[in-house]
Amino acid sequence: MDTVIGIEHVSKKYCRSLKHTMLYGVQDIARNAAGLTSNPERLRKGEFWALDDVSFEVKRGETLGIIGANGSGKTTLLKLINGILLPDKGKIEIQGRVGALIEVGAGFHPLLTGRENIYVNGAILGMSRREIDEKFDEIEDFADIGEFLDVPVKHYSSGMYVRLGFAVAVHSEPDILLIDEVLAVGDEQFQRRCINKISKMQEDGKTIMLVSHALTTVEGICSKVIELDKGKVKTNGIPERVIDEYLSRLDRDLQKSEKSAGRRWGTGEAEILDFGLFNGSRERTDRVTSGDETIFIMRVKFNTQVKNPIFGILIKSEGGIVVYGTNSRWRHMHFDTFEVGEEVKVIFKQKMQLTAGVYHVDPAIAYSDGITFYDWQERALEFIVELPVQTTGFANLDSQISITRNA
Amino acid sequence: MKAEKITVYEPDKFIKIGFFASWKAMAVSLFMSRELIWRLFLRDFKAKYRQSFLGILWAILNPVITVGIFIFLNRSGILNIGETYIPYPLFALIGISIYSIFSTGLSATSNSIIGAGPMVVKINFPKISLVIAAMGQAIVEFLVRLILIFFLFTIYGVTPCWSSILLPVALLPFILLTLGIGLFLSLLAGVLRDIIHLVSFFTTLLLFLLPVLYPAPQAGILVTLNRWNPLSHLIAGCRDILISGNLFDAAGFLWATIFSIIVFLVSWRIFFLSEPRIAERV
Repeated sequence: MDTVIGIEHVSKKYCRSLKHTMLYGVQDIARNAAGLTSNPERLRKGEFWALDDVSFEVKRGETLGIIGANGSGKTTLLKLINGILLPDKGKIEIQGRVGALIEVGAGFHPLLTGRENIYVNGAILGMSRREIDEKFDEIEDFADIGEFLDVPVKHYSSGMYVRLGFAVAVHSEPDILLIDEVLAVGDEQFQRRCINKISKMQEDGKTIMLVSHALTTVEGICSKVIELDKGKVKTNGIPERVIDEYLSRLDRDLQKSEKSAGRRWGTGEAEILDFGLFNGSRERTDRVTSGDETIFIMRVKFNTQVKNPIFGILIKSEGGIVVYGTNSRWRHMHFDTFEVGEEVKVIFKQKMQLTAGVYHVDPAIAYSDGITFYDWQERALEFIVELPVQTTGFANLDSQISITRNA
Repeated sequence: MKAEKITVYEPDKFIKIGFFASWKAMAVSLFMSRELIWRLFLRDFKAKYRQSFLGILWAILNPVITVGIFIFLNRSGILNIGETYIPYPLFALIGISIYSIFSTGLSATSNSIIGAGPMVVKINFPKISLVIAAMGQAIVEFLVRLILIFFLFTIYGVTPCWSSILLPVALLPFILLTLGIGLFLSLLAGVLRDIIHLVSFFTTLLLFLLPVLYPAPQAGILVTLNRWNPLSHLIAGCRDILISGNLFDAAGFLWATIFSIIVFLVSWRIFFLSEPRIAERV
């Protein structure tokens, strides 16, 4: 197998401050105009390496996944391979036509119809008129937007927009397809169609590079995965191993930050003064037996006049998985106005039908819109559930097992 | 299997490949973009007039209003424009139509890169196409105005000179000059938004400094100014070709033509070499 993408010691710098960006931009243009190099190896004040000495290769027919946290340089890398940006150090060698889906529909004009935009977008992606004519039906089929084809794209839903953009890009017949996090949009059915198209391209021996946060997708379709971390290649290898390593590191980091202090946010217009767990005899506790009647009491103070708030709790497992959540809105409770300085007690009564383990609770008060929060306390309370019999999972369904023998 | 193109990206790539090779690369890239330029031009053209009731008629209305104001100022004696060798409305309309290639062209081209939105940063394509397509808008508007001009010719009973058919050739240096300045400004506007404001200021200023709405003065400071301003030679030359057929100042037109070609070539090269910087900075 031959190498179709060769990345050798590639670095790319970016600038954080807008002022410097302008200054350096003028400087670089002036230097280039005079036929001088722009001294790309040096970092100037305010600049940093968005990609730092990255090297790897992609062989023909491989599907490479790029994962990593936000800001780790994934998109920059794709833009470099696509030639939108030039590296400041190192060298990139590409064999064949590159098609990129860095932002689908980036060239769409809102006032033009889908049909017109197919031609414009195709031309921007390097297709000739004849090529587009030939592929038009296929593109139309793939996008599957029906009569919306002759409607200005500004009336499209975001899903339709993406579908049309994706349809044009995959039909530009690239030898190498670069995809940046676009599969995440669009409905289930369209995503499946995209994956199918990708597998078909894989069968045809095309090379694909995919940036995604959808790790299961990456694991499913990639033959190799690279993890970028702060502009450097952290791990590089078979998908399962790279993703496992990435996830376990993520978990460790998360636990570290969660242990230190549960976060708390909100407008503060209503405030949770105290949150506690009580057993059936109204004694405060942090240890309950599975199936017992328990009570959470939330003491709330209103610092402004508040109308119809929502009180809720979220119970999470030790690993952060939501096990149960409820709120006053879902229990069809509506409240009138609470006055400034008013204090109330909100009582959540429930049977604690959880399996044995450590759980923690986030209490919260939300606006009546359910989106904005007055107060949300992460891990306000930790408690232990005990269960004399062994079970697994989170829910204690209290199964009774019997057996009937039909002799 | 067909031979696959090998592309190499490295820092300052075009400076490294040498002078002539980079000019060739520029020409090839421009030639390959012809279809894209056409598509982008059509896109802008359709989009511009789609949500407008009067549509392309605006191309006529704008100069008519300006010329109308000047006719009014002239008649009421506020301004003394002087004698023109053809009826003033015709004279002024020809002048402003030619000048608009420059003013409309410059504002469209200098705005073309930053106005293109996310595609500049998200798709790899020759950005020069955007600038040339924007220039196309100014040319189309001129063609529409030309219809009005010939209509006025008949109304006033003035016969345009046979040399009018040479107008496209005579306009070429003017268009190249505009495109050249536009290429440079579009690039600069990417990092310095002030450019957009400066352009509209200067095009307004020049409209009054150049012999567009009045005949070239024979004495005073404007004579010196006009002699060294390539724009005034190019505008006067095109107007001469349309009306009388002989260039009053052929030497001036010639040097302005050479000047325009040099500006275009230098600007084109700067644009090409700095193109990768655009996506970083916009």
